[in-house]
Amino acid sequence: MLEQETNPTISKSTGLPRKRFYRARAHSNPLNIGCGFGGLLISLSTLFPEVLMIGMELRDKVTEYVKERILALRVSNPGQYQNISVVRTNSMKYIPNYFEKGQLTKMFFLFPDPHFKEKNHRRRVISPHLLDEYAYVLGVGGIIYTITDVEELGDWMRSCLENHPMFEALTKEELEADPVVKLLSSATEEGQKVARNGGQTFQAVFRRIVPTS
Amino acid sequence: MEEKQIEEKETNRNVEVAPALIAVHPNQNSVAVAIGSDLRVYDLLGDCAVSLPDDSSPPFHKDSIRAIRYGANGKLFVSAGDDKVVKIWSAESWKCISAVCSEKRVSAVAISNDGQHVCFADKFGVVWVVDLRDINGNQAVVDKKAAPLLAHYCSIITSLEFSPDGQFIISADRDFKIRVTVFPKGPLDGAHEIQSFCLGHTEFVSCLDFVCTVDYPQGYLVSGSGDSTVRLWDIISGSLLDTCEVGAKDI
Repeated sequence: MLEQETNPTISKSTGLPRKRFYRARAHSNPLNIGCGFGGLLISLSTLFPEVLMIGMELRDKVTEYVKERILALRVSNPGQYQNISVVRTNSMKYIPNYFEKGQLTKMFFLFPDPHFKEKNHRRRVISPHLLDEYAYVLGVGGIIYTITDVEELGDWMRSCLENHPMFEALTKEELEADPVVKLLSSATEEGQKVARNGGQTFQAVFRRIVPTS
Repeated sequence: MEEKQIEEKETNRNVEVAPALIAVHPNQNSVAVAIGSDLRVYDLLGDCAVSLPDDSSPPFHKDSIRAIRYGANGKLFVSAGDDKVVKIWSAESWKCISAVCSEKRVSAVAISNDGQHVCFADKFGVVWVVDLRDINGNQAVVDKKAAPLLAHYCSIITSLEFSPDGQFIISADRDFKIRVTVFPKGPLDGAHEIQSFCLGHTEFVSCLDFVCTVDYPQGYLVSGSGDSTVRLWDIISGSLLDTCEVGAKDI
């Protein structure tokens, strides 16, 4: 696991499908440190024990926190939580360094930084250009899950995905049938906080498709 | 002393001199040289200097030229740089046939092999494309609008190349990466399908080119880098085929 963290070149495929998480910098609130991250990663670990999952996080302290949390769970639950890990990286710059073409089956973008100023919109983790790279590492049929409590960002992410030729929206039936969708708001610390405060969340869940030429 | 330099930063950009650039016509009809904001062309067939009338607005480049190229079919020439104007010239009449405004300074340019599209990269890492299909050389200068084609997130693109068969556009950046993207039939809607990444350089990638042989006409990609290596790639798979160390060696 340490090797994976320090070696930025493409990791060899283990033959197991992988999921990948991205947690951008949440709109900064210093009181949030210690509120607990890695919620969804940890929930999914036991739900899909045969699938490898990795969390990618920009912040040192948060990465350390999640790492410690996973290590503690492995000790208290022998044999479990071996399929999840976290790495500190700028995934927006280095996604193709970590994953081969079509390697991922799912990607998660949970409560990312809204970057409200228009001149910073290009720094948003979901953007028309970055979707090209996510489409590259996601296998055909793979799914991208996004959730936010900021309506404007929710509209933006949905619009970027709708306009991208390599993604199509899941139908209402497909969303209801997917066990992971419910976890987006219930298993994440941010999602639970929003629910407690009676706020709304905005989801956009899309499938990677072959573009119609 | 330092304060004075900061105040004069806007007006005294010539403190840093842009590297001189040279480009050769594919049939060796002419040679073009860019020195600072000055563009000079020498006609090798006629053995004389070419004067470049520029009726576009603004005429001539006002700031350092950062990229110049001839198109593979020998009909077009492009110059662009810090004045944020991409100028497209006829490489036969040497008239400036089109000027395209860029939001940011331009770091690299490429012309599709069929001469129908010009691409340029700006300092934000966005590659733009211009459609030239409705231009003929006899028109007055046409101002064209560019559409975004693809982007390298927060990175400066150092080199742009079309593959010899025109199927792919290759972009290299300062973050050691080379991206191979399918160049679509309708590029104005963007190039979204990434074919591969050529990863392996350990420093900024400075230049790209293709070498074609009789046995392999689709060509191999060659790249140079700040890591003192030249590398050979298969662009379909992104595989590194060979590495050549060109750093100084102790004898």
